Amino acid sequence: MTPGRLRFEGRDVPVLEGDTVASALFRAGVRTFSRSLKGHRRRGLYCGTGECPNCAVTVDGVPGVRSCITPATGDLRIERPRGWPSADHDLLHVADLAHPLMPVGFYLKTFIRPRFAWRTAERMIRRATGSGPLPMDAPATRTVSRHVRCDTIVVGAGVAGLTAALEPAVDGERVLLCDGFAIGSRVAPGPTLDAIRTLEARVRANPAIEIMEGYAALGLFDGPSVPLAGAGELVQVRAERVVVATGATEAHQLFPGNDLPGVWLGRAASAMAALHGVPPGRRVVVVASTAEGVEHLRALVAAGTPVVAALVPSAFVDEVPRETEAIVDGELVEARGHGRLRSVVVRERGERRRIRCDALVLSMGLAPRDELARMAVGEPVRLVGDAALDAGEPRLGGGYLCLCEDVALHDVEQAWTEGFRSAEILKRYTTATMGPCRGAMCGRALACFARDHADAADQRSGARTTARPPLRPVALETLAAPVHEVVEKRTGLHEVHLAAGANLGWSSGWKRALSYGDLAGEYRAVRERVGMMDVGTLGRFLIAGRDAARLAGSVFAGRIEDLAPGRSRYVLALDEGGYVVDDGLLCAVEDGSYLLTSTSGGAERMDARLREWADRLQLHVHLLDRTSELGAILVAGPRARDLLERLTGDPIEAAALPYPGHRELTLAGVPCRAIRSGFVGELAFELHHPRSRGPELWDALLREGKALEISPFGLDALEVLRLEKGHLYLGQDTLPDDTPAKLGLNWAVDMSKPWFVGKAALERLAELPPTRRLAGLEFEGAPAEGAELRGAPLTVGGAVVGRVTSAANSASLERAIGLGWIRRGEDGFPNELGAGSVVARVVSTPFYDPLGARVRG
Amino acid sequence: MTLEIACPTCGPRPHTEFAYGGEELPHVAPDAEADFARVFHPGNVEGPQRERWFHALGCRSWFVLTRDTRTNRIG
Amino acid sequence: MAELRTSTPSVTSVLASAEACDRVSELPGACRVSPGEVALMGDVSEAAVRAAVVRLDPDAVVLDVSDGWIVHSLDGPGSREAFARLSELELPAAGSLVGELAGVGVRILVDGDRIDLLVPSMIAAHVRERIEVDAAELLR
Repeated sequence: MTPGRLRFEGRDVPVLEGDTVASALFRAGVRTFSRSLKGHRRRGLYCGTGECPNCAVTVDGVPGVRSCITPATGDLRIERPRGWPSADHDLLHVADLAHPLMPVGFYLKTFIRPRFAWRTAERMIRRATGSGPLPMDAPATRTVSRHVRCDTIVVGAGVAGLTAALEPAVDGERVLLCDGFAIGSRVAPGPTLDAIRTLEARVRANPAIEIMEGYAALGLFDGPSVPLAGAGELVQVRAERVVVATGATEAHQLFPGNDLPGVWLGRAASAMAALHGVPPGRRVVVVASTAEGVEHLRALVAAGTPVVAALVPSAFVDEVPRETEAIVDGELVEARGHGRLRSVVVRERGERRRIRCDALVLSMGLAPRDELARMAVGEPVRLVGDAALDAGEPRLGGGYLCLCEDVALHDVEQAWTEGFRSAEILKRYTTATMGPCRGAMCGRALACFARDHADAADQRSGARTTARPPLRPVALETLAAPVHEVVEKRTGLHEVHLAAGANLGWSSGWKRALSYGDLAGEYRAVRERVGMMDVGTLGRFLIAGRDAARLAGSVFAGRIEDLAPGRSRYVLALDEGGYVVDDGLLCAVEDGSYLLTSTSGGAERMDARLREWADRLQLHVHLLDRTSELGAILVAGPRARDLLERLTGDPIEAAALPYPGHRELTLAGVPCRAIRSGFVGELAFELHHPRSRGPELWDALLREGKALEISPFGLDALEVLRLEKGHLYLGQDTLPDDTPAKLGLNWAVDMSKPWFVGKAALERLAELPPTRRLAGLEFEGAPAEGAELRGAPLTVGGAVVGRVTSAANSASLERAIGLGWIRRGEDGFPNELGAGSVVARVVSTPFYDPLGARVRG
Repeated sequence: MTLEIACPTCGPRPHTEFAYGGEELPHVAPDAEADFARVFHPGNVEGPQRERWFHALGCRSWFVLTRDTRTNRIG
Repeated sequence: MAELRTSTPSVTSVLASAEACDRVSELPGACRVSPGEVALMGDVSEAAVRAAVVRLDPDAVVLDVSDGWIVHSLDGPGSREAFARLSELELPAAGSLVGELAGVGVRILVDGDRIDLLVPSMIAAHVRERIEVDAAELLR
């Protein structure tokens, strides 16, 4: 005897060896295990196999745990969550009495007006019908995710599953056999268990078979693949073939009174008596229509259960024990009682007869667990054993069809009269089969109902409702296990920024320095002296090979063939609709190749696009993504050249390195390619260098720059600097259907080229004036934080005609500026618009240094 | 929980390694109207469709395959 | 228990015609990334490789890209189980392949219990973290 106890609603419940939570509670006298969803009807133990909702309790704060399959180990804390003030005495049971006032679907037709009625009603309904509060304070548990491959996966380790595992489809194949429980643990002693043990020994001795006990299959997906959940793991199994040996449950029976506590299915009752030593009642009636049913009857009697009567078909009459009255070919009519079973009514030889009893055990057929197979479309799946049985049609005698959702048969009849005439629509209207059992108990009955009531011609309405995963309750934590957090990219200067105490943030998949603590100071440094920024996130690509120029000329809209070595050019990539999708800077290198830089967020897309067109046009090119390999530091400001001259002996005066151009040079001993940049509107150099030498270069610049009053700057300062030049951020300032014309970028397009991606579309659009444009804006009466205007709608006479896409306060211009798109009106594009209480005036860009003299220095 | 796609270079791989590149169509059309249809009116066939796919997390090459849009069967 | 070690490798990228890449793939430490690209691990004479390759493809590019890569090595019993926590790929007994691990594309060289993961430097930290967390109990 294993001493042990459960904490159940403030009292201790003793636990014996082999107990489940349900058996321990039942032995201690608990008869009401839960309250039904809508009517708060008392529910007792029923199926014993974890399918029906009746035995669900809250274990250690986790709701919805099926106590009939949960071993009673450790000091578990058990509660019944539904019922107020308690499950035993539940005032909300009044909902059941008010059933006629709340016909099926009533909440879809009521509480519509006044508006607040639904809010209030919903809160009340939610409180009354929930499965229990979630343990929100519980710490997250770690679930391991792993991948396994095999040739055949067998789901279910009963007789059929063990047999299937021992008969490989192909010689030498790897078989994986899984089961939600330990092999044989759910079967009472008897011939079936003996057969299982024999097969089990052979399976364990076979090295080609891997056994996973305690791992429940969650569903069947493309592959075929079957995810298994168990022991803090999510195991994703990829197989060539799937064998479904999940067996069958005993069929749920429909008759008046079928959900009373005291009504059992055969397996649950015989397990309670034979395995746990507790008879299901003191006066038990058994209905055994099958051989299995007779086995249960005999097991009950052998365990000392007082069975007063047994309804059996004539073929089994000799199997009925002497102590029990055999009722041959009798029919179960109804179960009676108030809150618990007190008697049953049977029809015997045409006569109705009432038998007093406190337990009714039903074993009247099987419902195959074929959900996995029904999830497969065209996958190699085979059903074996009881799961492959052709189940008979359930008899729809009355009572509750769906125990989980508290849907009675007459609710379904009501729905049919209202015009909901197929299993699928009945499901959605009544919510039958939508509960925790997902139709395992009630799916066949619902389909059968629809089939019986539909015209003979309309057979689709009686089709079983779609089988959906998960097959077992599974925590979201488990499903999230293989989901990798967002991939975080870092430059080679990441540690440097951390050490400098930079404020880091996410931008386009990279961790970037947003600022070093003084945004206004960083901005001023760039405009007045010199600043330095980590731009190692830019995409960098090598385009080489004899068709390199042809590829660039095809992918980009502008002229490429006249780009001389040492020069660079802003390039636009369009899609086949003529819309702008990427931009970058193309540098022609001395050896005939090109170095392309792209936006940080668009790098992978640009690489994919280059490869795509190289493939489609069959070009001989060599492409290399150098983004990881190269770091980049932007040095910008009137003193930028002064700083670089201190660190290099190579010529970098305007003639040697003009704008727009680039050249190789060595800075502080680090080999770099310096590219003249105009993005921030000052004299600036992008220094592309080997990633590993980045910290060295950064330190040297900082050291020599001290005398020039250098400051590092981050993304936040960059935002304002580029905005003052009217430079757009793709995705922020652009819409998916922006053509170069709408963005004022026609200068980057060369329509005289014979062909480039999107040219045909631009030719078509050339005849139509653009209906929208991106414009520079100046704001009057802007709030202190200019950036707040970002996203504001732009209006003319109260009608929305545009939106502010970027906005900031410009210290140099002493006003708030921004960019925004504006729709053309009847009289052309408006020049003055409203942005809330602020006035926005369209101005030409760049706002700052319009002629670009500072950049070209 | 993955569909497998056979990359001509790398062999069968989970679909999560790939990016879809649209219907396989010629990159030019005889006239403006045909070009508009080519770009903006997808075939949207219910059945086998020739498509371009990109092995993004593998060899990063492009290839064409035929996929049945009803069953996801490839080839 | 397997050991996880991170190192900075020597990697040379060869971009050339398929025929030229076939030849280069025979060298030790070669990973055939794609029909037109081979990554050579270890100390390689750039000049020698270039000379050999240029004969078959005059346009070929041979470049030291060591700065672009980090190697995370899983070595010892349990290395394959640790790998299976992070990737769906099936590993051969020995060889090289390119595919997805922890949500990113990586190059893999495997020989028995030793698995070398060649990852781009910009995501090296991400991959290391994922291995440490997801395969924690399998690592020394």
